[in-house]
Amino acid sequence: MSAYRGKWVNALLAGLLIVALAFSFAGCKPKEPQVVKIGVFAPITGPAAADGAAATNAAILAVEKVNNAGGINGVKVELLTYDDQFSSAQAVAVAHQMIERDGVVAIVSGSYSTPTRAVAPIAQEAKIPLVAGYAVHPDITAAGDFCFRNSFVGTVQGLAAAEVAVRDLGAKKVSILMVDTDFGRILGETFKQTVEARGVKVLSIDAYPYGEKDFSALLTKIKGLNPDLLYATGYYAEGAAIALGAQTVGLTCQILGMEGMDSPKFLELGGAATEGIIITTNLNRDDMRPIAQEFLQAYESRFNVPADMVAASTYDAILIVCEAMRVGGFEPQAIRDAIAGLTNFEGVTGVIQAFTPSGEVIKPVQVQIVRDGAFHFFSVVDDPAIITPPN
Amino acid sequence: MVVQQIANGVVLGSLYALVALGLTLVYGVLRILHVAHAGVFVLGAYVGVLVYLPTGSLALAIVSAAVVCSLAGLIMYRFLYRPVLGRPPLVPLIISIGAFMFLEDLYRLVMGPYIKSLPVTIRAAGFETAAVRLTGYQLFIVAAAAGLLLGLWWLMRGTRLGLAWRASAQDLETAAAHGINTDVIIGVCFVIGSAIAAVAGVMVGGYYNQVYPSMGSVPAYKALAVIVLGGMGSVPGTVIAGLALGLAETLTMVWVGTFLPRDAIAFLVLILMLLVKPTGLLGRAS
Repeated sequence: MSAYRGKWVNALLAGLLIVALAFSFAGCKPKEPQVVKIGVFAPITGPAAADGAAATNAAILAVEKVNNAGGINGVKVELLTYDDQFSSAQAVAVAHQMIERDGVVAIVSGSYSTPTRAVAPIAQEAKIPLVAGYAVHPDITAAGDFCFRNSFVGTVQGLAAAEVAVRDLGAKKVSILMVDTDFGRILGETFKQTVEARGVKVLSIDAYPYGEKDFSALLTKIKGLNPDLLYATGYYAEGAAIALGAQTVGLTCQILGMEGMDSPKFLELGGAATEGIIITTNLNRDDMRPIAQEFLQAYESRFNVPADMVAASTYDAILIVCEAMRVGGFEPQAIRDAIAGLTNFEGVTGVIQAFTPSGEVIKPVQVQIVRDGAFHFFSVVDDPAIITPPN
Repeated sequence: MVVQQIANGVVLGSLYALVALGLTLVYGVLRILHVAHAGVFVLGAYVGVLVYLPTGSLALAIVSAAVVCSLAGLIMYRFLYRPVLGRPPLVPLIISIGAFMFLEDLYRLVMGPYIKSLPVTIRAAGFETAAVRLTGYQLFIVAAAAGLLLGLWWLMRGTRLGLAWRASAQDLETAAAHGINTDVIIGVCFVIGSAIAAVAGVMVGGYYNQVYPSMGSVPAYKALAVIVLGGMGSVPGTVIAGLALGLAETLTMVWVGTFLPRDAIAFLVLILMLLVKPTGLLGRAS
């Protein structure tokens, strides 16, 4: 009786083992996910909401493009969007939510430096690749080898602006106005050192607080110095106020701005005063490559506003992640390695030549001019000595 | 350049005076710091945008803003301040701060977080010589500040309403005991003060071509600096203080340097004033 029972138990155990073995083999087969999740965060509400909307709209468009073309090797992309409210505290919460709760395999920043700086170390710690669309602070890529940037680090843009001032505009004496943020100061100071080294006289350099509206005093002072170029760093609201202020005080010299002014809001708020202003940026509206024209047209017809630098940069950041998945698969480590190995990738913001070992993009800097109320091609800075970020 | 910078300072100071005038009226009679006044200022700017864009009439925009804001000011007095008038001044102050924050978020929800443009053009010709250049709009700002100051001056000194206001400002209870309907006087203060805030809102929004939900946050505390500097409750003091602050900011920015943000200058002046003459430029010790 007991022998019979022992046999029965053995048979049952053997059966269980076989089933368990079958399951464990199934576990060893390569995973084929049905969908792959990419998280994008942006300042959807708060003071930078215009850029938050542009970033998320562009991300949606990029993912639709990938999915409409059949996904990545047959796998559909699911886009999860998060609001960082332009705050680093909220960005930290969002980062944990993306990684721990929602299980994204890659993160795209459609946000400014402040929130992105908060997310970068968390992504690095969790070994989830992060591609910053347009956030410029050095700490973002310094967080580690999982963090990349698809826009120009401050020094590159400052050098490019100096190149435009000297090479294209032949400036001999310049004044500088810089917004008192990391970004504004790095650009202003790099510009100053570079043009001075090339024999240009810097007549004045002034910092103003973020959000400043009244530039009459500073612009009156600059008018008295009579420069042939004013280099102004700032975002669209300050840029528009500088353009209007220059008109009010009668300052007529050429104004050279930067990518913070690359926004339809700059043109709206500055009105006719923005005519002729030149900026360094990430997006060439007159780029005739099909990928750029397709994006510019699709974005404007879908969202009823022209695409700007923020939209184009975020769009490219999504495409970079998708391309890396196509090449390397869907594991975060493989995605990271594939981004690091990317060469000559055709993005909307130009041909991304490569990423440096520290995660900085190498691509030409676009120079745009406002003509008839719209940004147009002025020139391009593609000298490798200028556009290759320092390590 | 010096003349031009002084002109810049006068324009900026006129804007400060415009924002602070209404606050002075309320403070003078009630002795409460009406922080939400800056919320009324923003409301004026938004009404300006909503009326100016379809009609193109600055006059209509200013009048509509003044009407809407007067009503808003009256409602604020009736439902926020009047129920707590007997309480310590901290109570209405906290209510006022809360109301201001509420209004900022309300504008953000209703009007959206984006900066709206208010591209005002006026026909008035500018003024230009070798030394100084002012646009038509800048002249309009200075004229409006001067006009409102004179109007208020006449109201205060030349009318029975002004007499009642001054009596109420000296002592609310004694004034009431002498048959002045102080409730009406306070209400009138809120109506006139809010209407002036509306004018200021439209003019500031149009000058910088930017109207946005948080455009009141700097004026909220800067107007406090102006009324403290001017001697709380003094109408001419407010205008002088506004001009002084505008000039101080402009001139330090140009000749001392931009290491100190302009808003810090306002508060440096405020702190110095409180240490040296706590009653302000034209204030009397109470």
